Amino acid sequence: MLNLKQSLITAAGAAVLAIGSLAQASEYLVSTDWLEENLDRQDLRVIEVSVNPGVFERGHIPGAVNFRWHTDLVDTVSRDIIAGDDFQGLLQDAGISDDTEIVLYGDTNNWFAAWGAWIFDIYGVENVRLLDGGRSKWEAEGRPLSVRPSNYTAGNIEIGEPNLELRAFLPEVVEVARSENPEVDLVDIRSAAEYEGRVIAPEGVNELAVRAGHIPSAVNVSWGEAVAEDGTFKSADELREIYAAAGVDGSNPIITYCRIGERSSHTWFALSKILGFDVKNYDGSWTEYGNSVGVPVTNLAGTVWGGQ
Amino acid sequence: MNIQRLSISGAILASLLFTAWLINGDSRDSQAIAFSLVAGGLFGYILQRARFCFFCITRDFLEQRDSSGLLALVIALLVGTLGYHAVFGLFLPDPSVGRLPPDAHIGPISWVLALAALVFGIGMALSRSCISAHLYRLGEGSIGSIPALLGALLGFGIGFATWNTLYLAAIQQGPVVWLPSYLGYAGSALLQIAVLGAIALVLLRKHQMPSATKPTLGPIATLFQQRWSAPIAGLAIGFLAVIVYLRVAPLGVTAELGSLSRTAGDQLGLIPSRLQGLDTLAGCATAVKETLLSPNGAFVIGMVSMAFAAALPAGDFKPRLPSLSESARNFLGGTMLGWGAMTAIGCTVGTLLSGIMAAALSGWIFAVFCLIGVIGTWKLLQRTHS
Repeated sequence: MLNLKQSLITAAGAAVLAIGSLAQASEYLVSTDWLEENLDRQDLRVIEVSVNPGVFERGHIPGAVNFRWHTDLVDTVSRDIIAGDDFQGLLQDAGISDDTEIVLYGDTNNWFAAWGAWIFDIYGVENVRLLDGGRSKWEAEGRPLSVRPSNYTAGNIEIGEPNLELRAFLPEVVEVARSENPEVDLVDIRSAAEYEGRVIAPEGVNELAVRAGHIPSAVNVSWGEAVAEDGTFKSADELREIYAAAGVDGSNPIITYCRIGERSSHTWFALSKILGFDVKNYDGSWTEYGNSVGVPVTNLAGTVWGGQ
Repeated sequence: MNIQRLSISGAILASLLFTAWLINGDSRDSQAIAFSLVAGGLFGYILQRARFCFFCITRDFLEQRDSSGLLALVIALLVGTLGYHAVFGLFLPDPSVGRLPPDAHIGPISWVLALAALVFGIGMALSRSCISAHLYRLGEGSIGSIPALLGALLGFGIGFATWNTLYLAAIQQGPVVWLPSYLGYAGSALLQIAVLGAIALVLLRKHQMPSATKPTLGPIATLFQQRWSAPIAGLAIGFLAVIVYLRVAPLGVTAELGSLSRTAGDQLGLIPSRLQGLDTLAGCATAVKETLLSPNGAFVIGMVSMAFAAALPAGDFKPRLPSLSESARNFLGGTMLGWGAMTAIGCTVGTLLSGIMAAALSGWIFAVFCLIGVIGTWKLLQRTHS
């Protein structure tokens, strides 16, 4: 019986593999196949950035290093991404040098891995790619995991000044929100209920806003629209079609946002790395905008303080 | 050996394994649930065979100077200490960096923890079992455990209602003391082994052999009929605790009960909608239920069903209706168990066993105050009875 189940799983896995290996949507993505074949390379560093603590420790891609998003990649006191010096130290400790190729992956559809990729990009780190399908695809295909911690001799990478062209701040977003004919496309990737103002945030999250709704002129394309059934990104053509249907075709610069700037990095990755558009991520997102005094809000549901 | 009873047990085991096989899928969540179902089954089997009930083993020592049960606990803690430290070395190679190993039950220390453990101990003595023992006793047909567990659900609810006040008064500022971050893994393991070894020596010296020595039975009878000896029970529990921590989360039996209570209280609007800091603390954390079956729920289901499968061939399945006063006492004791387990974020399994194995000072503090509660109440009850 076990064998029967095993062979069913293997067959299903093979089918998924066959589909998966047909196309890689972007040069900034690697397939699970490619990664497994290249794991032994000394100049390759795999980094896990997972949402849930304890996931890495109970089994990670062999040789991978763990970056904890909530302490490693942020400033732990003020609301900001990690400072350049700290980020450089983190990378050097992970044995990363200027010529190291980096592959990021994580749980929950690479949300925080994509967020990590955005931070790597801000600091100008090159050769950074995302494992298409992330951790769940790797696991679903029955690929090996290891619990052994990895130890690397310190690398010598030096990072540059942050590239703020990739990061939108509140004043810029408010300017777009106030303009009659905005020349920037805002993409709100949260759920329809949040976008319409029916709820302030999904159930169970602690970081909230005082007002519900969305930034005026923003279109709603949920992050999940960019994901195929097996967790990989949809093809570039499909993605182009999905965003074009919402009026986002790359002719204008784009700003993506969500609640805290994490899932919007996923869409930032799809739009900038797969479609090659000019995209900024607004990491202040709704927890900043929806709490700001005097900024315009569109609330389709007409809620006030979360009620009617 | 009664073949009929043995085959019922076999059928329960087979259906447990088959259910686990059905649940087990590609996702990590399903694997965790399937694993927990089997591990819970094993835990229930061991607890029943060894009659590993925290209250009973303490009472055996107090009344008959029979140390064997407490020795089983000490052995479990020794094995668990070694195993946990080995796993910690994988999870967090350097304990001095200011991080804690993921999921380990290392809680904040404050007077609230001491009070919760004390109340838990009193509840144990009143209801004559802790929560894990009430659960395995369900499998022995102990109907009196039902009011105790219902009381525990109520106690959890009261715990949620008092949580925010206690959290802001003390828990939030309480230091989280993890011995390896001060002593290193070797130092903390050695310290714990020394302390546990000293306790074992005292227990051995105080131990008086039960008057009638049991005849030695064959291996089958030993496995299915005779009560397991302290070293076997201790080794088995310690080993299981380490494997379960490595794969899913530390041993604990109250998360699912607490979640049931929290979900009910939430829907009835009886508990605060926001429990400050609770979801950020390590331990038998409770969440408002979103899925029907959680790993901890599967663990408890496995535990009760395999305790039944263990009790049946051993002749330990003896359903008995409790008297009204006994039920009332169990309900009251159960309420205290629930409040204590919620407030201490775990019970004798989640905070004492999994905490001490993890070299958490909170585990030791729980053990001390729980014991004070048990012994104090037991003495008081002795006096009123005589």
